[in-house]
Order: sequence, then C-alpha cells, then structure tokens
Amino acid sequence: MTHPKESPHEDTHPINAPGIHLRPAQAGDVPVLATLLVRLKRLNEEFDPLLKVRADAEERAREVLKSDLSNPDALVLVAEGTGADRDKVVGVVRAHLRERVFYAPEKEGVILDIYLLPLHRRRGVGEFMLKETWELLKARGAGVITAEFPTQNEIAARFYAKRGFRPITALHARQV
Amino acid sequence: MADAAGPVPPKRETPREHPHSATEGEEGQTRALGERAVALAGFYQGKIETIPKVPVRSLADFSLWYTPGIAAVCRRIEKDPAVAFDLTGRWNTIAIVTDGSRVLGLGNIGPQAAMPVMEGKALLFKFLGGVDAVPIPIQVSSPEEIVETVMRLAPAFGGINLEDIASPKCFYVLEELQKRLPIPVWHDDQLGTAAATVAALLNSMEVTGRSIHEVRTVLLGAGAANLVTARLLLKLGQDPHKLTAVDHHGILHAEREDVDELSLRNRWKFRLALDTDGGGRKGDLKDALLGADVLLAASTPDPNTVSPEMVRSMAPKPIVFALANPVPEIWPSVAHEAGAAVVATGRSDFPNQVNNSLVFPGVFRGILDARATSVPDEVVLAAARELAARAHDRGLTASHLLPTMDEMDAFPHVAAAVATEAARLGIARRRRTRDEYYEEAKQMMSRTHALVRELGRAGFVAPMPDEPRSETK
Repeated sequence: MTHPKESPHEDTHPINAPGIHLRPAQAGDVPVLATLLVRLKRLNEEFDPLLKVRADAEERAREVLKSDLSNPDALVLVAEGTGADRDKVVGVVRAHLRERVFYAPEKEGVILDIYLLPLHRRRGVGEFMLKETWELLKARGAGVITAEFPTQNEIAARFYAKRGFRPITALHARQV
Repeated sequence: MADAAGPVPPKRETPREHPHSATEGEEGQTRALGERAVALAGFYQGKIETIPKVPVRSLADFSLWYTPGIAAVCRRIEKDPAVAFDLTGRWNTIAIVTDGSRVLGLGNIGPQAAMPVMEGKALLFKFLGGVDAVPIPIQVSSPEEIVETVMRLAPAFGGINLEDIASPKCFYVLEELQKRLPIPVWHDDQLGTAAATVAALLNSMEVTGRSIHEVRTVLLGAGAANLVTARLLLKLGQDPHKLTAVDHHGILHAEREDVDELSLRNRWKFRLALDTDGGGRKGDLKDALLGADVLLAASTPDPNTVSPEMVRSMAPKPIVFALANPVPEIWPSVAHEAGAAVVATGRSDFPNQVNNSLVFPGVFRGILDARATSVPDEVVLAAARELAARAHDRGLTASHLLPTMDEMDAFPHVAAAVATEAARLGIARRRRTRDEYYEEAKQMMSRTHALVRELGRAGFVAPMPDEPRSETK
C-alpha cells in the first residue's frame, strides 16, 4: 500500500463482499451520500435532544463531503449493491486521520460516520465496511482506530464492543 | 334512575350510508346508549361476582374447603405444581390485565377508568366461553412494569388476556410474557382482531375465487391488529412482495425517511417495512391500491379515508375491509357502488362484522381445556380457519363471510379446533380427541347460559330496571 499525499483514495481498490461492493467516493456521489449522512444524523437525533438535526443539514453534508474529497486526511467510501441493486448506493463511510498531539500511537483513524440502508444490514456488511475502513486507515499510518456515535446508541456501542473497541474518552454536554 | 335514559330500540337502524351525512342520528343513538349504560352500571354496581361452586352443608364443611383439610391439597401442589390445574380453579381462571393506556377509542384513560370495560370483557368471557376471568387493571409506568406485574400474578391463572394496551408497547409486553410464562398469553387487540380478519379474508378469497399465494394485499394502518394480520398472512403464504402496508406517512418501505426511527421505536413495524419493502411500491394509499385485490383497512374512523376512485382502481371484484370503529374508512354501499365484490366492517349493523368476540371465547375455552402452555400463531390460525369454516354452516356468501354472534355453535367449534391444534403441536398438558374437546366446550358454555338463566329466574340477578316487562330469551 502506498500513502499518496495528493489523491487520498488511490490506495483503495473496489472491494467486494456478499451483497455489496465498496469503492472510494467521487464527486458525483456527493448528493446521494449527503442524503445517507442526513439519515444517520436523524437516527442520532433519536438519542439526544442536543443532537437535533439542523434544517440545512443536507446542504452542509454536501459541503463537508466535497471538502473531504480534496482532503488527504479524509476517507469517504461508498457501498453499492450487487445483483438487482447494482450501482445503487446503499451505504457510506466517512473517516478522518488525526494527529494525537499528546498520546501514542500518534495517528488516529476516526470513523465519523458509517451508515447502511436497513435492507442491507445484518448480513455482516457493516462489519465488512468497518474492517475495510480500519485496514485503509491503518495503511495510512493510523495506530489506533476510534469511532464516534451518540452515547445512548447502545446498538452501536455493542457493535464496536464486539469488535474490541472500548470507550476511552467521553464527551459530556449541556445546553447553555 | 330507572327512566333516566328510556328504552332503546331493540335493533339499531341501518345508518345512513353516505360520506357527507355523517350521522347525527348515530351520535344521538350512541349518546342514549351511553346514558343507559351509566344508569345500569349504577344499578348493578359491577357485572360479575364470585359464587361458591362446592356444597356447604354446614360450617363443618369448611374443614375440607379450608383449614385444616386444605393443607393436604397445598402440599400436593407444592410437590407437583402441575396438579394446581386439577386441584384448584386455575385451569379455568384467567386474568384480564390492562394498564388503561388505550381503552376502546378513548385513549389513555388509566387503569381505574378502564375497569368497566374489563368487567364487560369478563362477562363476555364467562357468557360466551364459560371462562372465569378476573379484571385486573394495574397502575404501572412502563412496559417492563406490566411484564413484571403479570409475572407475579401468573401462579393464580391458567392464562392471561392482555387488554387495551397501547401500540407499540403491547408488542413488547406480549412477546416478553409469551417468552417467560408457562401459560398462554393473549392480546386480543393484536391476536383476536387479526384472527377474525384472517378468517373473513380466507372466505372472501373463496367467494371471489382468489388464492392467498397470488393476491396483492394492502394494509391500511400499521397498528396492533394489522401488524399481526400481516404476520399471519405471510405465514399463510402471502407473497411479501405483494403486500403493501400504508400508514399516515404513506407506504411503509425499507427506505422511508422514518425507517431508522422505527428501528428504535417500533421494531415490529420496522421488520414489516424490511420484509415487504412496500410490496415493491412507494407513495401513498392511492399508489398502493392500484390493481390490488385486497384492502384491509384498520385505521381512522372517517368514511372519506378510502375514496370510491381508489376502490375503482383496484383489481376487478376487489375485497374491501373497512374495519375502523365506529365509522368505517368507506361506507359499504359506496364501496359496493365502486365495484367492491366483498365488503366487511367492524360493525354489527352491516353484513360481515369482523369481530374479535367471535374469536377469544373459543380460543380461551380451547387453550384452557387443553391446558395449553402457550398460544403460538399456529393456534391463532387454527381458530381463524375454523371460524371461516363455520361460516359455511349457513352458506358462505359475499354477505355472510363469518358466523354472526348468535350462531353460538361456532364457539365450541373454535374451541375444539384450538385445543386440537395445541395437542398436535405438543403444547397441551391435557390431550383429548377433537370430539371430546368439542363436547366439553359445548358443555361449559351451555352450563353458563343455564346458570345465568337460573340466576335471573330465581331473582338473584335483577331484571333491568328500565325494562319492566323483561322476558328471558
């Protein structure tokens, strides 16, 4: 694996798993990926009133995705269906590489968003997406993989715990 | 008090079947009925009571019925808990449990206000099924508390009937209790209504020459009854890709905006969204009904919910069930005019009343007589099939899809079918032949009718104060 500076996604080749096909995102994917990100944020909204989704969330999601596509420290993957769902976008992963200023390992791969349409869940696809993402982040130098999700999302907590993740920092909030 | 409400005509007039003439007369009639019910409730002060079923010749007999003799009976049960069903009334006693969170069309009125309905249900259980039912409205603040409370009550009962618990918590409560209790647990708003619907649907398909494997079916409303109806239809062979559920957000499909929210708040509805994926359709009710064979509506009491145009857009000779109470989603005459071959409603004043009271007395009689340990969907389907079969007794037609409530023989037949199915599934603690189950059920039911008649004749049950010339039927 190479670590190109210019084009962050050249190190990812299309990868196939039963039922899906994973590939790096392109500019043309942005609108549909934005709707998936908003779906995820709406799900998050269920867990805490401080996660209320903004009215312009979809527009912002498009901007964020566009900026990710030109950011060497960002990773955006598209999950497409196979068979009858061929070329249909069914999921998205968004991750960033961050430097850990005070801690070792020094590089952290943060999984910011991972979303899969309900019909494609529970077939090991989520797990496959996670593993591929962490391999890619690892290949780019990440020594630790982290994942962000709402504290109350017990399903996500169980999903990650089952795969060896544990909580290391907590984000506590209050409205002011 | 006696003349507070005045007599009500013995037979309700057929309501004016027109979407725009929404029934002032009906409302007045309902109000009069309500006033009379209040007056009678005040007169009788309760609808059921406990009566001894053993002789008491002298007080000395209490040494057998109570201490000291009774201790030996206790010890027998302590040694072998199963004999509780033989040595006490547990075999024929059930609890009617509610938290009062969705009572009739009244909504969340709380456990105390729910009591009159539960007493009425207990009366129906006794009169139609010979079942001793104890009304138990409970004060709880969470679904878990309902489960915990029923778990603690269970040792006294041979079965549990959950009643008037709001959706979706009713799904959790039923599922959890069915998993954890060694006796049958039933929720009538889910299972009873679904069984009656399926029975009527089976006969509708027969009348119109359809097969469950081929029909395109639309469910309007995705509450307690329709979610279970969907599950039963799928078990009967309904193609999930031809099953479209519609609620107030439109067609329920796997990519609907709220589907993630459903995965957290109502996993039963979520599951249906994934299983059917809208029957391959997106959009609203109109889109769902295009070319559909069957509409099963259990949604909003508004006669304009389903338009004649929608019925016209269905397949030729469609089946239309408009089950909302008290007002169907489309008036039967309007549906027929628009081409419906078969129409059913939830009301007794139209042909084809889909009524859970046709189901639960027989189901409980059957599962109690079989001492069943549970009541799985196969048993529910056995009840539905038997009910459908009984409609043939008076001749199956498009306006006689189900037995009516006065075709009393349907009840022991349903009981026998249920008990036999329980035995076949290996969940009956007490196995008999179908004929034996039938005779027992019939005996239990006619005994109650005789009992009620005799209590009235002897004056222990007073005649209705507002009907002085009361004649026992």
